[in-house]
Amino acid sequence: MSLRKLVPKLFVSFSLPLAILISLLLGHYRTDPKTVLEVVLSAVFPHLIHSPPETVRVIVLLYRAPRAIAAAITGAVLAVSGAALQSMLRNPLVDTYILGIASGAGFGAALAIAFLPPTVPVELVAFCFSLIAFMLAFVLAWSWGRGGVIALVLSGVIVNAFFSAALALVKYLAPDPHRLASIVFWLMGDIGQAAFWYKIMRMLAISLPCILVIWFMRWRLNVLSLGDEEARALGVNPTVERGLLTAICALMTSATVAYTGIIGWVGLLVPHIVRLMLGTDNRVVVTYSIVFGATYMVLADDLARCLTSEELPIGVLTTIMGAPLYIYLLRRASGVWR
Amino acid sequence: MRCVLRVEGLSYTYSRDLVALRDVEFEVYSGEVVTVLGPNGAGKTTLLKCILRLLEPRGVVYINGKRRWDELSSRELAKYFGYVPQTHHSIFAYRVLDFILMGRAPHHTMFSLPSRRDYEKVHEVAKLLGIEDLLERSITELSGGQMQLVLIARALVQEAKVLLLDEPTAHLDIVNSVRVLSVVRKLVKSGRVDAAIMAMHDPVLAASFSDKVLLMSRGRVVACGSPRDVLRPEVLREVYGVDFVRFEHCGFVVVVPRASTEV
Repeated sequence: MSLRKLVPKLFVSFSLPLAILISLLLGHYRTDPKTVLEVVLSAVFPHLIHSPPETVRVIVLLYRAPRAIAAAITGAVLAVSGAALQSMLRNPLVDTYILGIASGAGFGAALAIAFLPPTVPVELVAFCFSLIAFMLAFVLAWSWGRGGVIALVLSGVIVNAFFSAALALVKYLAPDPHRLASIVFWLMGDIGQAAFWYKIMRMLAISLPCILVIWFMRWRLNVLSLGDEEARALGVNPTVERGLLTAICALMTSATVAYTGIIGWVGLLVPHIVRLMLGTDNRVVVTYSIVFGATYMVLADDLARCLTSEELPIGVLTTIMGAPLYIYLLRRASGVWR
Repeated sequence: MRCVLRVEGLSYTYSRDLVALRDVEFEVYSGEVVTVLGPNGAGKTTLLKCILRLLEPRGVVYINGKRRWDELSSRELAKYFGYVPQTHHSIFAYRVLDFILMGRAPHHTMFSLPSRRDYEKVHEVAKLLGIEDLLERSITELSGGQMQLVLIARALVQEAKVLLLDEPTAHLDIVNSVRVLSVVRKLVKSGRVDAAIMAMHDPVLAASFSDKVLLMSRGRVVACGSPRDVLRPEVLREVYGVDFVRFEHCGFVVVVPRASTEV
């Protein structure tokens, strides 16, 4: 392996634990690195390390840690499904939201906030509707295009448009301004909504197996990116494998978006950055999209929490941060895409 | 000679009134370079795609002279036929090494990764074709001739017995055309592959590089045999609608289109 690629790989790998440690330190309540480390170690080895004061323990273990972990999971899920879909659909401009998931989830959440009793969990309705939206797009793509690339993308666009309109209607009909405000906030994304250990367990239960399947199929993604005819000539059934992978991406994205709201640009941007740094081979792109996606989201959430006294909406922040970073990288690597 | 491929009654219809292939029949023996020749729209590419089962035709293809090709899984089929497309439009700038490595896909399951042996195979094939110096380049930087050799390398890495090439010289100048066709011929004659079937529209190149010519017109086989028997001016005129002059020199048949005097 050349040094030119080894350095960024090491950098990306070490940045995730570092980013998580940083986010354990940051916040209104001041802590020092030593105490934070003690808290983490005493949680892992309760018998060996003397436990620090209760206040710090609660803040670090019940507020900051779940928040960092939730951000990491969300980032990894969005980035890896973006990487997989870009390859499978042979289109560098897509992420999972092309499958109708975001607008489906947005509609579900808005519906629950505006009209359903507070006992119905918003994330459950959002999850169901994002899966419904995906299945609609999927069935549509199979019924008229046999699950081809163009059929999938177009069906996704149609379903997206439909649910965006339905979402607008729900907003318009929302019974009172407070609920409307809640809908707007939900749509801008909030990792804090997912920052509870029991929610993290649920997110992990769905996303971990999904991420693993994609990771094991990372070389296969290269073959799928050749186009259907060449893939079939190489003994691969592209419609079946693409169908499987798309469903997996949709499932895990739904499961995270339902908790966090819509966080844009991560799925689009992170795989691109990884390709610019480390090349286009999906064995590398998938692996490092997982790691870098997680890091990117943890840091973005730190900024969202700490940049101002009020919390900023994370979905807005990822886009504002992403655009200039992307422009910078494109300029630096202008040879790659010209 | 062993029959590596026998095509029987192959027909394919794209839509109700567009018949692409009608009752195509021919045989390919080991050691043969076969050219499927004909003007644009004669059904050459369709024939290759039907043999590869990228399309679902009526009729049967027997491989190794006896096994029906629809009894094989797509993975087994990919170990028998190596497809070399006209060109490859890549979205992602893969390294040539990684691109050729994808030819190992039929030897892997959905979840497995290429091993050291697969890499050795790529290096061995690259050395054979003289493209070792390209391995670290990006496929988007290759010239037409280099891309064609890389695509052939991918088919060889597949360990395919029969190469199917779709207009391998379509985008190449004469120097690169000759280079690519010589490579194909050498691969067949040295026994590296059992046979090669190439779709081409140029009778001049077909005459000098193939053992057998399958002349097609509007989805039918018009003539099949050695270049000497098939490439006769009266037959070519019927297929191409152009007058040809034929020369013979040192055992080679040369056909040249005659410039039309009509305006």
